[in-house]
Amino acid sequence: MTTKVRSVLATTGIALISLIAFVPFYIMIIMGTHVNEDLFRKIVLLPGNYLLENLKTVTSSRFDLAYLNSFIVSVASTVLSVFVSAFAGFAFAKYEFKFKNAIFNLVLLTMMIPSQLGIVAYVIEMRSLGLSGTLIPLILPWVANAFGVFWMTQFIKGAVPNEVLESARIDGCSDLGLFFRMVPAFIMPAVTTLSLLIFLWSWNNYLLPLIMINNPDLYTIPLSITTLGDAYRTDLAAQILGLSIGTLPVLVLFAFGSKSFIRGLTAGSVKG
Amino acid sequence: MPYVFLSPYLLFYAAFGLFPILFSFYVSLTSWDGIKGKTFVGLDNYVHLFKPGSYFFKSIGNTLLFVGIALPLQIFLGLVIATLLYSKFVKGRGFFQLVNFMPYIVTPVAIGLMFNLMFDWQVGIVNKLLLHFGIIDEAIYWLGEANYARIVIILMLVWKGFGYTMIFYLAGLANISKDLLEAAQVDGANALRTFFSITLPLLRPVTMFILITGIIGGFQLLEEPMLLFTGSNMGSTAIIGGPDRCCLTAVWNMYDTAFGSTTRYGLGAAIAWGTCFIIALFSFFGVKLYKGDPE
Repeated sequence: MTTKVRSVLATTGIALISLIAFVPFYIMIIMGTHVNEDLFRKIVLLPGNYLLENLKTVTSSRFDLAYLNSFIVSVASTVLSVFVSAFAGFAFAKYEFKFKNAIFNLVLLTMMIPSQLGIVAYVIEMRSLGLSGTLIPLILPWVANAFGVFWMTQFIKGAVPNEVLESARIDGCSDLGLFFRMVPAFIMPAVTTLSLLIFLWSWNNYLLPLIMINNPDLYTIPLSITTLGDAYRTDLAAQILGLSIGTLPVLVLFAFGSKSFIRGLTAGSVKG
Repeated sequence: MPYVFLSPYLLFYAAFGLFPILFSFYVSLTSWDGIKGKTFVGLDNYVHLFKPGSYFFKSIGNTLLFVGIALPLQIFLGLVIATLLYSKFVKGRGFFQLVNFMPYIVTPVAIGLMFNLMFDWQVGIVNKLLLHFGIIDEAIYWLGEANYARIVIILMLVWKGFGYTMIFYLAGLANISKDLLEAAQVDGANALRTFFSITLPLLRPVTMFILITGIIGGFQLLEEPMLLFTGSNMGSTAIIGGPDRCCLTAVWNMYDTAFGSTTRYGLGAAIAWGTCFIIALFSFFGVKLYKGDPE
């Protein structure tokens, strides 16, 4: 087979699989442009003319507030989590200390423990701390993220040269100064990748808000969408439009960040 | 000094990770609705898990079935696509990368709702297409019959997950030295041979990573099946776990017991601990397998 034939075959194959990945996504967007009842009457393959009405339903539900809540939760989770992970990763990667291996193994172990294990008690904990009427319970679980620590440790080990740290130290730089002045320049790819993942995960989180949040003013996007419509009629078309809009920010983030996302994965991550 | 760097992580983990986990073990030994007083009941909740009425083993079995079928499929698809994309034969890698990763980005809630509509037996596009092309004579009751419903869930998981494995394999492929592959070619190995004796073994750490995180992630499955079955009758009586609870997952069971149809916090916590025990078994053998690697 010539290279050209192979190339056409491979590209066709990829294009077909990509189509499978894309079709439900396309249907999601299309469904949002039809009137709810049509979704149950016919196959909708082309855009309809009900987009604006659906948009009205969506916006009338204080969707903007849900958007804002989701943004607050995801940005705070991401910033705190990446910072704490880099902090701990720096310690594991560049210092020798007592119980280092034991503590690191503990972190790995917690990576294996599903976060839902403690959720019943977590709800009670938040209630007794008086935080259940706020967004804070949706942020806290992300702060100490074992995956993030593991990630940063691996990356800092390989990416931050010891010589740079040594010479800065000789110049009188403190340990904290090392972290804040020297380290960031080397770990940006890992920061990007981890940020994108944490943002995505917390943006899409459903279980925790579902359990924790009762006040509609604090609804995040996934929660706000499942309650769209009224008591008599579930407006699926509007719900789906809301979901498309809710997916938009992460889609944009990944569209622009996907190159550095993969670069970060390649450089630091999965070497075992 | 290193302890200063570690302390935020350790403090936050102790307060909002470890403490709830330990406390929930205590809760699992009580009978409690979260409002009135707790009664200590010892291991009663765990005994209850062994009764069919708790659906515990059924939900674990369902979860295992979903993970056991979807994960290999998603690994296979992800690997094939990554390999093709990484080869010099495909143009527009960035574009295809993004498109195949898109399903992973979509909110699980949306995926559940979408598949609910697509597989609706009366109005769903899947039945309509199958009928139109004469592949089936009668509409299939996808979400009403246990095995069909399970197929829909597995399709959903594979659809969502293969882009994620693809991304990790792409990263793994980029870490394989080109010299090694060229040397093999010079020695006369064809593309398939090179793939199976060099690329695949070198990707083993990536595969292990995907496998372990995939099993852990799979055990947390909740939103997609939940929205798949409750999607169009939100607010009315939601169907817990699908027909015959064939699609009730472990976490869904926990949610429903503690925060859904009943508010049995103690039993919910026991379900969580029981599930975790089973995951621990799997991870333990997974890690053993990994460490047992002769290389």
